[in-house]
Amino acid sequence: MVMSDTEKFFEQIISHLPISILVFDSSLKVVFVNENFLEKTRLKLDAVMGRGPEGIFPPVLLKYSHLPVLLKKVIQEGKGIPGQEMVYRAPGIPYRVYYYSLNPLRGIKGMENVMLLMEDITEQSRLREEVRKTERHLASIVESANDIVVSLEPYGTITTWNTAGERITGFNALEVRGHHITTLCTSRDAEEMRQVLQNTAQPGKVEHLEVEITTKGGKKIPVAWGFSSMRSEAGTLVGLVGIGRDLTETKQLQAQLIQSAKLASLGVLAGGIAHELRNPLGISSAAAQIFMERPDDPQLLRECAQKIHTGISRASEIIEGLLKFARPSTRYNEPTDINKILDETLGLIGKQLSTQQITVHKELDPSLPLINADGKLLKQVFLNIIINAYNAMPRGGQLWIRTEVEKGWRPSSLLVTFRDNGAGIPKEHMDKIFDPFFTTMPLGKGTGLGLAICYGIVKEHGGEIRVVSTEGEGSTFTILLPITK
Amino acid sequence: MQGLKALVIDDEVDMCWALERVLQGEGIKTHSAHTAEGALAILKRDSPQLAFVDIKLPDMDGIELARLIKASNPSLPMVLISGYYYGDDPVIKKGLEEGLYVGFISKPFEVNEIRSYARRFFPKEGSL
Repeated sequence: MVMSDTEKFFEQIISHLPISILVFDSSLKVVFVNENFLEKTRLKLDAVMGRGPEGIFPPVLLKYSHLPVLLKKVIQEGKGIPGQEMVYRAPGIPYRVYYYSLNPLRGIKGMENVMLLMEDITEQSRLREEVRKTERHLASIVESANDIVVSLEPYGTITTWNTAGERITGFNALEVRGHHITTLCTSRDAEEMRQVLQNTAQPGKVEHLEVEITTKGGKKIPVAWGFSSMRSEAGTLVGLVGIGRDLTETKQLQAQLIQSAKLASLGVLAGGIAHELRNPLGISSAAAQIFMERPDDPQLLRECAQKIHTGISRASEIIEGLLKFARPSTRYNEPTDINKILDETLGLIGKQLSTQQITVHKELDPSLPLINADGKLLKQVFLNIIINAYNAMPRGGQLWIRTEVEKGWRPSSLLVTFRDNGAGIPKEHMDKIFDPFFTTMPLGKGTGLGLAICYGIVKEHGGEIRVVSTEGEGSTFTILLPITK
Repeated sequence: MQGLKALVIDDEVDMCWALERVLQGEGIKTHSAHTAEGALAILKRDSPQLAFVDIKLPDMDGIELARLIKASNPSLPMVLISGYYYGDDPVIKKGLEEGLYVGFISKPFEVNEIRSYARRFFPKEGSL
């Protein structure tokens, strides 16, 4: 057969196609094979031409692809079979994956033929497997995470969450799907969370908040959330992602830490307290003795009884203040008068300050608004800062305590300032003073927890602590506390 | 009994009342001061024969005040009183050994302790 130029042209195209082509006749014998197939399978032309599929393809491939059956079906029905995958393994040939289709060729040389097209997709299949692996890996990260990972629709409806979500809340992913995430919170926190979710929808915003959620069993647990937005490549908001950490244990540790710091400050207070108690005790005791020596003087009796009563009342007030302070307390926010808390704090330590010749100048703004806070915790913060000032002024000094509302058009904080003219803080210590266990006190004198705890408590109230200090001149601690909206 | 005077220095008004009451029962006139400054002012215009000094005063440490008094009135015997220290505290012992003060009383006290110092440093009643 002499090929025309056109035939040669097509022959060239077909042999160079990056696809393997085999044509079977109706008796399933190969009548045509292109170069690509021979290259891939490393078979010779005469080992393919005139043979059936069984003579060409490895037995395993035939078994799993049912190729002979499919070929017959195409011939009988005259309908093609669209793409399927086949794995080609043969001795001495690298493993390949093909995407193949069977296509009927009607009317050529008067007989029905079937064309088998095989595209090598080994590389794509490998990539796809890698993508799958990565996906599985990511999914297992999310699943193995100890924190709740929740995906939300842009407005906060839960799409799904991970095993940690189930473990912590008791609700499985199916039970929470379709529910708004705020339904997990107590009603007090729901509004705040709604606001946070709205803010998160802004591009680039990451929002944090701490709320109590109610578990399936009805238990309330504190969870710290961080929300961020999920965006498509085009930048449109697809949804929100939330990571939630169960704070139960952290809170317990924190409470223990606060308690131990409290006991540490009690140690500092003890000296002063003893002194404070011995004065009213001394007065009562002396008054009793004076009266006993002159039992027949009714006027003296009245006077002495009065002194005894006053002395005992004073002593019990001191003990009461001390006990109330020392007692572990559960965290409880309520409208709080900061001026009153400061006065109560000074009630605990004021005497000790004055006996160290420290003069306290109070400038408390009487129009200070109440703020939502835990007064007991703030008392500890104030006490700690005052004790620091006390330690900074061993030979006496001045302590200014001031409360005011932040200046400005729409003040959002109130300020509590403690200024002393004591030793001040050396420059090199400034960035460490809030670190836990940082202390310049001799061993056994200070735990180094005081300011770390203060920092924690103030942060928990949504506030901040600022310090300005010059060594040799004194320190100023300013506590900013948000005014409740 | 004319001219027998004691100075009582304590920031607690009721403590001064108790001490004065006991001393007056011994026939001794008393002055009281609630601050170091007040005490020094009294000592400028008056010369008591005995002083009771509280150690923790709002404007000065009582031991420091005792040193000042010792410098200006070296012959005035002083008894220190405190609800802060106890008699066996080194700082208290040191002052006693130095002769800065003649005695120390810790609060609360027996009124007889006050009385015995008064009797030690004032001539017996009726001996004048």
